[in-house]
Amino acid sequence: MPLLRARALCKTYGTVQAVRGVNFRLDENSYVTLLGPSGCGKTSILRMIGGFEEVSSGLLELDGAKLNDVAASARPVNTVFQSYALFPHLSVLENVGFGLRYKGVGRAAIREKARAALETVQMGAMADRRPRQLSGGQQQRVALARAIVNEPRLLLLDEPLSALDRRMRKDMQIELKDLQRRLKMTFLHVTHDQEEAFALSDRIVVMRDGIIEQQGAPDAIYRRPETAYVADFIGGAACVPGRIASQAAEGYRIETALGQFAAPGVAGLRPGAEAVLCLRPEQLRIDPEGPIAARVTHVVYRGAEWLVELEAAGVALALTTAHDAIPEIGADLRLGFDPAQVWIARAETGEAAQ
Amino acid sequence: MDRRLFLKSALAGTALGAFGPAGRALAATDLLWMTWENLAKDDYLQPFLDGSDVALTKTFIGTDDEQFAKLRAGGASSVDLITPGLDKVSYYTASDLLQPIDFEKVPNANLLYDTFKKTGLGKVDGQTYGIPFYWGINPIVYRADLMDEEPDWSVFFEGDKYNGKLAMRDYALEGIMIAAMYLGIPRDEMFQMDDKQLAEVKKVLMIQKSKLRTYWNSIGDLTNLFATGEVVCAFSWVPPYYDLKEKGLDMGMAKPKQGVIGWCDTIAVPKGVEGARRDAVFELVNYLLGPTYGKKLAYGGPYAQSTSAARDEIDAEQQEKIFIKDLSVMDSFVWKENPPRYNDWVALWNEVKAS
Amino acid sequence: MSARVGTYLAAPVMAFLIALCVTPLLILFAYSFFRVDFVAISYDPSFANYAKIAGSATYRGLILKAFGSGALVAAITAVIGYPVAWFIAKRAGAMKSALLTLLLVPLYSGDLVRVFAWRVLLGAEGVINRSLIWAGVTDAPIQGLLFSPLATHIALTYNYLPFMVIGLWLAFESLDDAWLEAAADLGAKGPSRFARVVLPLTSPGLIAGGLMVFVMVVGDYLTPQLLGGASGITVISAINDLFGTAFDWPLGSAIAWTMLAILMAFFALGAVLIRRSSLVGGA
Repeated sequence: MPLLRARALCKTYGTVQAVRGVNFRLDENSYVTLLGPSGCGKTSILRMIGGFEEVSSGLLELDGAKLNDVAASARPVNTVFQSYALFPHLSVLENVGFGLRYKGVGRAAIREKARAALETVQMGAMADRRPRQLSGGQQQRVALARAIVNEPRLLLLDEPLSALDRRMRKDMQIELKDLQRRLKMTFLHVTHDQEEAFALSDRIVVMRDGIIEQQGAPDAIYRRPETAYVADFIGGAACVPGRIASQAAEGYRIETALGQFAAPGVAGLRPGAEAVLCLRPEQLRIDPEGPIAARVTHVVYRGAEWLVELEAAGVALALTTAHDAIPEIGADLRLGFDPAQVWIARAETGEAAQ
Repeated sequence: MDRRLFLKSALAGTALGAFGPAGRALAATDLLWMTWENLAKDDYLQPFLDGSDVALTKTFIGTDDEQFAKLRAGGASSVDLITPGLDKVSYYTASDLLQPIDFEKVPNANLLYDTFKKTGLGKVDGQTYGIPFYWGINPIVYRADLMDEEPDWSVFFEGDKYNGKLAMRDYALEGIMIAAMYLGIPRDEMFQMDDKQLAEVKKVLMIQKSKLRTYWNSIGDLTNLFATGEVVCAFSWVPPYYDLKEKGLDMGMAKPKQGVIGWCDTIAVPKGVEGARRDAVFELVNYLLGPTYGKKLAYGGPYAQSTSAARDEIDAEQQEKIFIKDLSVMDSFVWKENPPRYNDWVALWNEVKAS
Repeated sequence: MSARVGTYLAAPVMAFLIALCVTPLLILFAYSFFRVDFVAISYDPSFANYAKIAGSATYRGLILKAFGSGALVAAITAVIGYPVAWFIAKRAGAMKSALLTLLLVPLYSGDLVRVFAWRVLLGAEGVINRSLIWAGVTDAPIQGLLFSPLATHIALTYNYLPFMVIGLWLAFESLDDAWLEAAADLGAKGPSRFARVVLPLTSPGLIAGGLMVFVMVVGDYLTPQLLGGASGITVISAINDLFGTAFDWPLGSAIAWTMLAILMAFFALGAVLIRRSSLVGGA
């Protein structure tokens, strides 16, 4: 039995449909990320699970029991809020011990457990401070301790790292993953940062406009995007529109403005169907013998490499290249790629089958 | 600019009915009169102003206490003429703010009713400092439609028929006088009551309080309470009687047999008024005690002047209204005096109200 | 213009205002040690007036009554004000400014108009009594509705409720909903959320609103006088009598300063409490 199951879950605000009938499940002891741009409905899903928003229609089940009408205070679920929402009038220790009172824990035991939780997030030394005396990263850790000390069945994290600087974010990512493994708890983490999602997740749920585009293991999402949207959003791939010509041994033959190519792709495409050829920057290379003629439009320095943006037969492409081979803007080049490494995805959007 | 001039020009801008343009006011003998608004209507004063070179500026008071405080703060030369209550003149004389009335300049003073000639109030060592000006009584006013018989002071102290329907003015002096009259304390002892008598007074005032709907503070408020039937009987002033009668209510006015509280305001001249201004002020005082003003006040107020100057020119109905038809009524009056132990009276009154 | 220049420019104005406010109080303070002899002040300093207050059950009782009324009305307005302020801040949406304006309307109507409105409602022949008699609830009008402490406190509550609501409304405006969600998330039900999160975090508004209501009730003598009936005396009207009728300025000053000292103590306490809570307030 999955820990949590969502069936045909919907959320509407007035006439706006924020979540439009999504289905997903969370397994025990897993780290799952809801990934998507702002406004895609991921936060609404989190808030419905937390009990802060009513479910408009559909079903939420926790451990097989309906969760829809259970008050937030009665759910075995705790949340790390985006703004941390630490109580400013209470000390760090009191913040962490806040929820234990409702679990029938004695006064002395509350202090002990709260201290232990603070040690877990390396904040033991700050127990007597007030939240406003802490840095953002420290507040983040306290918020985490305040949630996990209650030993919830499910921990919800609402963009928890978005207010941190890049360096701190990297450190916290490692710690979060580590913490989840140690506690053997299920974490549901909402983010718009795909790098963060890859670093943390056992499973990623990619959302767009209130529906799920694709869900699965990070590697599968990256290598085998089911839709043009996922290919673009996750891998930054250029999606060259085309039409399936025929089935091929390891995939399909696809007809595009750049020519006809044979490549592996998502299952279920029929000849004549619209599809896209996904070309990620690291898959394209400059090759005088290559099949694609392109002209350089921009060159962007990215530290470890250069990103070269090009245009070929009206299609925008990009590739990465090393320092010693930087083409001029306006130069005509020929490009090539290994067809076995690229991927053909559906052109249209729509919730993927589970 | 001295304080007096400053006060005058400030007032000239605001006071109602400043006579003539400012230029003339400064050129003529200009007088400043601190008084009640209903005594200084333009119409009352026009005959005097037409016949003299006086420019008059008026400043109106809301309470007697306010008048005293203003004069004391401004000094004895800040105003030319004031209008203190007969019982309050001793405040002013004790503060050395007044000069004696120059009777040679006020021939109309010969026409004062006997009771005002004889009274010791307003005088120090035989010299008159506040000359009685106009007067009236504070009666019991009641809803004749809601009461069986004409009440007297005992209605505030005995029986329970009108419990919760009575009202008393929130004023220590009169409240204690009424209790003293009810207790039968003679008029000449009333203002010198000893501790034992005051204790008696306090006892009956406590009984009175339990019968009251409320203490009243403004006559407009009391009129309203009569009209709405919240109060059927109160120690009052005269106006609600006529006002409500005019509106069709069956009102009664009682002059209790144990004694009627009479009030009287005086006119007094502050000490610093000298020379031409002094002459002009006494000219005005004489006018205020004379027939022309007296008649206008009798019909306009309606209030009675303290002299008989205008009495014969007033018809019987109006004479009745202002209590001068049968002059013997004045014998039953108890004139308000300022008791020497007034602080104790106020304290007693507050104790009763706070109990 | 730099802030420093502004400070210098404002200094004379501030000094003038302070002098204007403080000088009369200091004069009163000096008077409170003198003695009155008929109408003359005798400048012979002593603590006699303060001893008189301490020894007088009347004045002690009146002072206590004033502060009791202030505390009672502050408490009642807080109980009513919390849900109202919460609704305006968190639920009113587009109606917010309309509701706030509506809240202030009674303040524009003037003291006397409101007093007479209450008389029309509560009087023996008033709307409520007539309705009760019509409905057969009672045979005779309930006299105690008007000219009673009940009437006084109803009117005082009505008069000063807006100040409490505004204080609390401002506090609710800066109360982040996330704190309430966090409390619910951690298992706190409604009453517990109020006690452990809402109350402490809105306490600056409660204290500020409460002090305003308290001070204004203590200073309001007109409402008790006109609606309180025979027992409508207040310490303020007693001070009025002492200054006006009795010319006992020294004793009046002494009572006024006793009141002022107690009020200042309350303000100091309030300021300390607000400072303490604003040290932690705001994330």
